[in-house]
Amino acid sequence: MPKSLMIVDDSATMRKIIMRTVRMSGLEFDRTEEAGNGVEAIEKLKTAPVDIVLCDINMPEMSGTEMVKQARQLPNCKDTKIIMVSTESSQELIDSILADGANGYITKPFTPERFQEKLAPFMS
Amino acid sequence: MIEQKTYHETVLDAAKEVFETMIFMEIEPAAETAVDWTAHSLLGTITFKGDMEGCLGISLADSCAKTIARNMLALDPDSPVSDQEVCDAVGEVANMVMGSIKHRLQDACPDIAVSIPTVISGRELSSSLGEGTEKVAVPVCLNEEYTAVFTLLYRKKD
Repeated sequence: MPKSLMIVDDSATMRKIIMRTVRMSGLEFDRTEEAGNGVEAIEKLKTAPVDIVLCDINMPEMSGTEMVKQARQLPNCKDTKIIMVSTESSQELIDSILADGANGYITKPFTPERFQEKLAPFMS
Repeated sequence: MIEQKTYHETVLDAAKEVFETMIFMEIEPAAETAVDWTAHSLLGTITFKGDMEGCLGISLADSCAKTIARNMLALDPDSPVSDQEVCDAVGEVANMVMGSIKHRLQDACPDIAVSIPTVISGRELSSSLGEGTEKVAVPVCLNEEYTAVFTLLYRKKD
């Protein structure tokens, strides 16, 4: 089944690194999108929803935590899987973001194996 | 109170984790005298506040920063890399090392909020937080070729 992916991070270089790591994990997507912050991501998701979002937390304009909340209000993003990718690793924060609607969490630094483990369940 | 030696080990272990996992460079402790402070370099910093406040900096030569960026982006050693990509890479190193430090200090300092990293370039760059600040400098050797210095400046809440 074709899958689409959006990478949300304020660093263009980190978006490339995440994309490279996703490819190294062996996962394939037929469409990939990028956004530099939560506001840009929400605007794109309104018109072109994706299957999976990989989202940073600490970003200008709109944080990843706020983006998750707003994405869950979009009718066409109800089934979108949102995986947070961040250096933040406190269990309290992770639990809070999962409660707000995120589907998973990957901490930086990360490996291709970590992406495979977290994303593969959503690829079938 | 966590000892200076422990902070030194924490910074070094965090840097090792990041460089070995995502940058694919060997990292070993180095002598501070090995650092050429007058060379043109980059300084990536990230501030934090909460149970402990301060900043973490990484200072490294342009050539080292370009190698880090190429490794992170999986580019060939001779591939061109833009200034923006190099700055982003150095900022992300500061961000990830600080994240790892925060994780390692979680029991002693559970409440630490981290900023977005900034990167500047120039010569003889350094960070300062004024009086009452403790400083931990961790010089490292990367791939037996480059020298970089991680500097943790901090003040603990009473």
